[in-house]
Amino acid sequence: MATELAVQLTPKAVEKAKEALAKRGTPGAALRLGVRGGGCSGFSYVIEFADKQGTRDQLFDFDGLRVVVDPKSLVFLNGTTLDYEVKLMQHGFKFVNPQEATGCGCGESFGV
Amino acid sequence: MALFQIFDPVAPPTPIGIDLGTTHSLVAHMVDGRPECVLDCDLSPLLPSVVHYLEHGGVMVGTEAKGKAALHPRETLVSAKRFMGRGADDPETTRLGPYDFAMPGPGESNSVRFKVRGRAVTPVEVSAEILRVLRTNAEAKLRTVGGAVITVPAYFDEAQRQATKDAAKLAGLEVLRLLNEPTAAALAYGLDKGRTRGTFAVFDLGGGTFDVTILSLDDGVFQVRSTGGDAQLGGDDMDRLFAEWALGHMGVDPATASPELVRAALDAARVAKHELTDRPTTVIAVTAGELSFERSIRRTEFEDLVRPVVERTTPAVKRALRDAGLRPEEVDGVILVGGSTRVPAVREHVKKLFGQEPLSDIDPDQVVAFGAAIQADLLAGDGAKDDALILDVIPLSLGLETMGGVAEKILPRNTTIPAGRAQQFTTYADGQTGFELHVVQGERELAADNRSLAKFVLRGIPPLPAGAAKLEVTFRVDADGMLTVTARELNTGIEQRIEVTPSFGLSGDDVERMLLESYEHAESDLATRQLRERITDAERVIAATEAALRVDGDLLDEDERAELDGAMRALREVIAAQDGKKVHLRTEGLDRATQPLAERRMDRAVQQAMKGRAVAEIEDTVKDRPEHPHLAASYAKDAETDKETR
Repeated sequence: MATELAVQLTPKAVEKAKEALAKRGTPGAALRLGVRGGGCSGFSYVIEFADKQGTRDQLFDFDGLRVVVDPKSLVFLNGTTLDYEVKLMQHGFKFVNPQEATGCGCGESFGV
Repeated sequence: MALFQIFDPVAPPTPIGIDLGTTHSLVAHMVDGRPECVLDCDLSPLLPSVVHYLEHGGVMVGTEAKGKAALHPRETLVSAKRFMGRGADDPETTRLGPYDFAMPGPGESNSVRFKVRGRAVTPVEVSAEILRVLRTNAEAKLRTVGGAVITVPAYFDEAQRQATKDAAKLAGLEVLRLLNEPTAAALAYGLDKGRTRGTFAVFDLGGGTFDVTILSLDDGVFQVRSTGGDAQLGGDDMDRLFAEWALGHMGVDPATASPELVRAALDAARVAKHELTDRPTTVIAVTAGELSFERSIRRTEFEDLVRPVVERTTPAVKRALRDAGLRPEEVDGVILVGGSTRVPAVREHVKKLFGQEPLSDIDPDQVVAFGAAIQADLLAGDGAKDDALILDVIPLSLGLETMGGVAEKILPRNTTIPAGRAQQFTTYADGQTGFELHVVQGERELAADNRSLAKFVLRGIPPLPAGAAKLEVTFRVDADGMLTVTARELNTGIEQRIEVTPSFGLSGDDVERMLLESYEHAESDLATRQLRERITDAERVIAATEAALRVDGDLLDEDERAELDGAMRALREVIAAQDGKKVHLRTEGLDRATQPLAERRMDRAVQQAMKGRAVAEIEDTVKDRPEHPHLAASYAKDAETDKETR
């Protein structure tokens, strides 16, 4: 497995993820990013708390925030930057994935 | 672009609030203490409450279904909510809508049944289809949804409330509570916060219904004091008056205008109405065929036009106040609900009726769903957090092999069971009369690398142009882990099903090994999938071009023909060389090269139409044209109509 595959997080995303982990009472847990099949364009993004780490997971550290990605998802997420946006009606994390060829408007699923 | 919240795999499912409306339905949930609506793929929170029944068992819900209403009025059920809990012999029943009704047989309950495509459908079943889509949309965002609070009009009787609960049950939703719509709006505004007593009015003007409710807050509990309204009054009436005005200026009698022109005028009226909410003047533009009309209109002119509609709300408001024994100034707050309350003239009118500025900070389309979400969160909060449910999941993705040997996952790994999902596919080749279905299990991108569970063939489909047949494949896994795959061709109703137990002969070690393999091959799998999809795409464009040339090849001169042949030859070369990037580029090149041919085929089709050929023939010709082959052909599937079928 090539080791140069990577994801990025903006400082805002790191800050918000740390806040969420602290609020959950598990500041030591990690954040899992990934993709799974399904959704209108083939794949959907996954962002969740990770209490456990798989043996094959890639581990990243962003200013003390641990981020895990399974090797398969990493291929799809390579080059992705996770950002955090605050809009009038909504706020939350956003995947900016240069590999994304077709988005389904809602940004929850994509094709490559 | 939707924004994501971090999902907690060990948290209980998220409770949801549903506004099951006459015209639109919405679903909302809480995020960090604030309500938020689930958006669909068009970024809209509003799902039109319209269900269209296809010829053989399939259904369409929402915007797509709404588009069918004009051509298939009896097969497209709009405003089913108006029929909830009504008896078949209710005089209201036959008055509402263009439907055929089925009389209850001996031993059947006295409920309204719509006769649709030879079967009887109850309003409960129609509502369940809408709720299913809302649930699926919510699950796409939240992954697991808990119980639901569903709103109902304050005037719903016991039968109507029970019918709503039955619909939720059919859709697989656990109902935490039914909540009155006006109460939901009051909760969204937090009127129960910081005071224990009060009297409020909720003014709800939607697309086709008007409701006014007087609520009292006693010891922190909302109670309905009185209700009133008009079940046939709303923003649609404004559009109608506005459209008639436009038609009048065009010198057309609305009574004799063609349906297309009326539709165009209504659409233009709605657009202009929305624009006049924020602007003092706008331009209304109607175009239908040869006719076109443009005129600027001031908001004041529009207000004069729709004044009769706005005025019609007055008697119901006065009666509701009288029934509650209140004078307008005794009302502590007035809430605006429903999209039509955005019209400034409506706001002015409400202000005049109650002698006070109404509350309007919260989006009037979403306010009821917000209140339902707040209530759902409160109800689920009691105790639910401690006993997190342990749910069984599917250990490996279940899917189908599609063109090019790509594995399309239908039920992804870790989906909780029981689960179900349907996806539509279409034919790849002209005249294709069968589908081979290969059910596979695993995480790899190519079917051949996954575990093969079953193969079966659906035969007997009439030969149609590529893409015309619609195959709906449903995957269902029951609580015991048994998988049932059902394939049904929607035009003919031909159906075939198969049952397998995916876990049979599969050990925990096997699952682990298959996962690891998918990790090992992640990069090459992605590249191969991309290549296979591009080649599939390319081959379809070539096939479509060749088919067009066989029929209308004479439309091109020698040079043009040579160019097209060259583009096809160049594409075939890179397909043979398995060069994904070049396949993609040259497919686009070939697509561009076919444009002149496509345009001339259109012209020919139109000319032939003039010679009196049947419209259906021309439609076929037009449909068959390779104008944008990549749209129809990009994959041998059509995944937009995914829907939950658990």
